[in-house]
Amino acid sequence: MAGWQSNIVMEEVTDPQELAKARALDERFDRNSAWLQAHIPEVYSRYRGKCICVAGEELFIADTPEEVLAQARAAHPEDNGSTLLRYIPLERMARIYADKWQVANV
Amino acid sequence: MRINGKWLMCDDGVVRPMVRGEVLAGDDSWEWVEFLVDTGADRTVFSAATLAKLSLQPVTAHEGISGLGGGADSVIVETQIRLTRENSGKVVFRGHYAAVTELGSLDIDVLGRDITGFFTVIVDQPGDVICLLGQRHHYTIQHD
Repeated sequence: MAGWQSNIVMEEVTDPQELAKARALDERFDRNSAWLQAHIPEVYSRYRGKCICVAGEELFIADTPEEVLAQARAAHPEDNGSTLLRYIPLERMARIYADKWQVANV
Repeated sequence: MRINGKWLMCDDGVVRPMVRGEVLAGDDSWEWVEFLVDTGADRTVFSAATLAKLSLQPVTAHEGISGLGGGADSVIVETQIRLTRENSGKVVFRGHYAAVTELGSLDIDVLGRDITGFFTVIVDQPGDVICLLGQRHHYTIQHD
């Protein structure tokens, strides 16, 4: 069986308009990420098993990503693209993310 | 080329190496995502939450992703990931990426070796450095 082969191609973005648009979103995402980092203990202890979203430096909570995104996007349409979405695992435990490899379908 | 990351606090109070990037969504908008820099992961994998955020149509279903907890259902999506350079420029990675379909399978987006393999990767917690180096950037190990 042939192994999995990456087809990823890397290119530099040179369009100045595209770069300027991206930088505006960068700043909004920075603020949402900083808000979450500052409120991590309360957010992560209260909302285990939930999906959270930070938009406009405001927290939204729901059971599914679709629900929480709908709330956040309705409240802060200007933050579209720069919202921070996370699922908070139900249990706290040590995590090993490495060694994820492709397996054959059977 | 230098792409900087950050050590960020996760839900369990553990600080992990992360790089921010944007992912092209199904409606051609860009969505920000924080990726775990995982030097052991063969490929980049989106969480189920991010998959929902992107609204991408899978190009292949039932791909397998395996880790310590066993296998996880996943799909393959075709999209682009954009990372920010040290000079505020952007570099884009086009191709096929895996995404898990169950929320509990993966709580964080993972940047794997299909992307990190383009770079020299520094993951230095004592020095508070996460970066991907390429082109004319390189590093030196010194002994004081």
